[in-house]
Amino acid sequence: MKWIVGCLMLVGLGGLVPPDDPGPHLAVIAKTGPQGEGSVAANVARDQLAKRGVEVLPELLAAMDTSNAVAANWYRTVYEEIVARELARDGTKWPVEFFKEYVSDAKRVGRPRRLVLGLLDKLEPAFREGWIPTRLDDAEFRYEAVGLALAAGDRALKDKDQTAAKAEFRKAFEAARDSTQVTQAAAKLKSLGESADVVQHLGLVTEWWLVGPFDAPQKTGFAKVFEPEGKVDLQAKYLGQGGTEIAWNRHHESDTLGQLDLNKQLDTTREAVGYAYSEIDVSREQAAQVRCGADDNCSVWLNGEKVFGRDQWLNGTRFDRFVTPIQLKAGRNTLLVKVCQGPQHKDPEVPNNWSLQLRLCDEQGRGIEFKPALP
Amino acid sequence: MSSKLISVIAVLLAFIAFESGREVRGENWPGWRGPNRNGVTSDTGVPTTWSPTENVLWKMPLPGIGTSNPVVWSDKVFVTASEGRDQGELHVICFDRDTGRERWHQRLWGTAPTLFYGRSGMASPSPVTDGKRLFAFFGTGDVFCFDLDGGLLWQRAIAEEYGPFENRFAAASSPLLFEDKLIVQCDHYGASYVIALDQQTGANRWKSDRPEVWLSWSSPQLVPSGDRIELVLSGSEKLDGYDPRTGSRLWTLRGLARECVPTPLFGHGMLFVVSGPNGTHFAIKPGGSGDITDSHVVWKNDRGSSFVPSAILVGERYYLADDKGIGSCLDAHTGKLVWRKRFGDKFTASPVAADGKLFFTNEAGSTLVLDATQAAYEELARNDFGEEVYASPAISQGRFFLRTAKNLVCVGKK
Repeated sequence: MKWIVGCLMLVGLGGLVPPDDPGPHLAVIAKTGPQGEGSVAANVARDQLAKRGVEVLPELLAAMDTSNAVAANWYRTVYEEIVARELARDGTKWPVEFFKEYVSDAKRVGRPRRLVLGLLDKLEPAFREGWIPTRLDDAEFRYEAVGLALAAGDRALKDKDQTAAKAEFRKAFEAARDSTQVTQAAAKLKSLGESADVVQHLGLVTEWWLVGPFDAPQKTGFAKVFEPEGKVDLQAKYLGQGGTEIAWNRHHESDTLGQLDLNKQLDTTREAVGYAYSEIDVSREQAAQVRCGADDNCSVWLNGEKVFGRDQWLNGTRFDRFVTPIQLKAGRNTLLVKVCQGPQHKDPEVPNNWSLQLRLCDEQGRGIEFKPALP
Repeated sequence: MSSKLISVIAVLLAFIAFESGREVRGENWPGWRGPNRNGVTSDTGVPTTWSPTENVLWKMPLPGIGTSNPVVWSDKVFVTASEGRDQGELHVICFDRDTGRERWHQRLWGTAPTLFYGRSGMASPSPVTDGKRLFAFFGTGDVFCFDLDGGLLWQRAIAEEYGPFENRFAAASSPLLFEDKLIVQCDHYGASYVIALDQQTGANRWKSDRPEVWLSWSSPQLVPSGDRIELVLSGSEKLDGYDPRTGSRLWTLRGLARECVPTPLFGHGMLFVVSGPNGTHFAIKPGGSGDITDSHVVWKNDRGSSFVPSAILVGERYYLADDKGIGSCLDAHTGKLVWRKRFGDKFTASPVAADGKLFFTNEAGSTLVLDATQAAYEELARNDFGEEVYASPAISQGRFFLRTAKNLVCVGKK
């Protein structure tokens, strides 16, 4: 089969492209996709490309800058074969300057850049040490760069140079997007008498009106519609679980990462639904993300439109578990979140958590600038 | 005949003799839990004792982490691993059975790395081979098919096609081969399903959604039932039987625990099912249709269930080692306790058996060898290797393949 496809490809490509042009082979691999589509042709093209020397690497790496996960791996098998072969022999003229440009181009897909950095480690071992600290704004290498800034701050502290330590920790805090690094850098700054607002940095929503528990037997809560989903009236009173009257309560969440414990704020209960409502002001219309996690599950409405909901149970609140693109309008935006609480697990030792965490941020995880606007 | 021709023939004969020596000398271990997917092989000649300095034929370092079991086919040993901050760097490695030399090593990207367990990363599922192709599934939601020389034949990024896996420890289910299909159980907090891929092309043969299932790290099992073969899946408080040719559900048994990790076993016409933590373990009769909870249970036992390690059935007896290191032997037909012993340390690896011996390897890397030919507890050896072990071992061609946290070790008689 492979042999036939190879012949057909050679006939098809013959006379149309120069024999050294890797483009047609790269294009064949680019067509791979779902359902194993294009695999036989990709296999033939891969073999052709793998025969080439390092001169093909710039075009190959350009092709690897793709969101097609399947094609990327086909390309990678070619890359690995050529690199292994060339590393094993002397005298290869590696395109090192191209590699440095490629790895420094933050607009490219991160994984092949990281692959090339690994090759540069072999070709020019000193490159990484000087280069990583410059990558504070680079999504692929930011984590390492922030880690180095934190380590530099620690070293400065050890040397009793508080000014240098503050500068390094500030640099780390501003660049960090990983919640652990953000909180680490903030803690370091605070220990040196500096301010660092984790909530603002991550765009955590901590100002809420809360109401609940509404009665939702078994796991009916996700689908069952209660009054707040029709209209949010902060003065309204509702019939709650057990026939009690429930009303909205203003709440400021002081947890470091904005995690609401609804067992504390509403009631330690089961088979129920609670709602959280917030309003924010933003200066301009902008694309953003709502990132949330809840136990047992949550649904989110932005400006009255449902933007997220996942019918899952007993799943734990995890930071940034769900990521949904949204469009914020200039001025006032409203957020309504429904959080369901399922039945107690038959094992009484399984915690009966009921919680929510939600933030608004850009694609890289930096909090959107907004002002809480709740009454 | 000229002396030159005689020399050529002699060289050829020597080559043929050498090559045939490299051919299979016993049973292969082609996937998760061996040739019958139950930890038991008919292989013989495996050493009973070993140590870091005794009966070790070779030892090779492994990249990253992983708990997939080694797969052995003829003179090749295959291992998967993952590494990186998000464990998205995937490895499929082929070692030479006799020398441990790395024959080939494919490095690939995982499509959608998830939360993971620090010992297994994205490489919990064991690969599987039919002797022509190797199929490797990873917790990133990728399925790769290679020829046995390491050439990539096809890839499916099923996490991209059907959504990333959502669970705490990444997908862990080891796929199985049935006729011309590769069957992969994809249970997770998101949209769960079981899927059959064409072995030749990777395309879907069927996909059956499991919307009511939210949690399982168990692997599928094939069992004969009357004149049909059933595909059995354990997950989220129940066990389901499917038609492996169509993916249509045949029956359901309720009563399993919330988290299903062990793989069901088949023997004596019964299906043995374990779930946990601290769940009930069952022996049931497969077959039937609809809800078989009240009609097909042969026996059940509330004590001794393992959470992670699968059980093993040898002869008339059924053995479990729970995660806390308590070993149990039950009468397979009645579920009655034969003996219970403290094996020591914790267990993640599933037991294996060959040549009338049971091998239980604990997390400290000590393998307890028991005599499986008699009902009484009879300890033959305790082999401390001195390295942590979380992967289930493989037995093939008179050798015991131990994947430690850092190395692949081949144990055999020198």
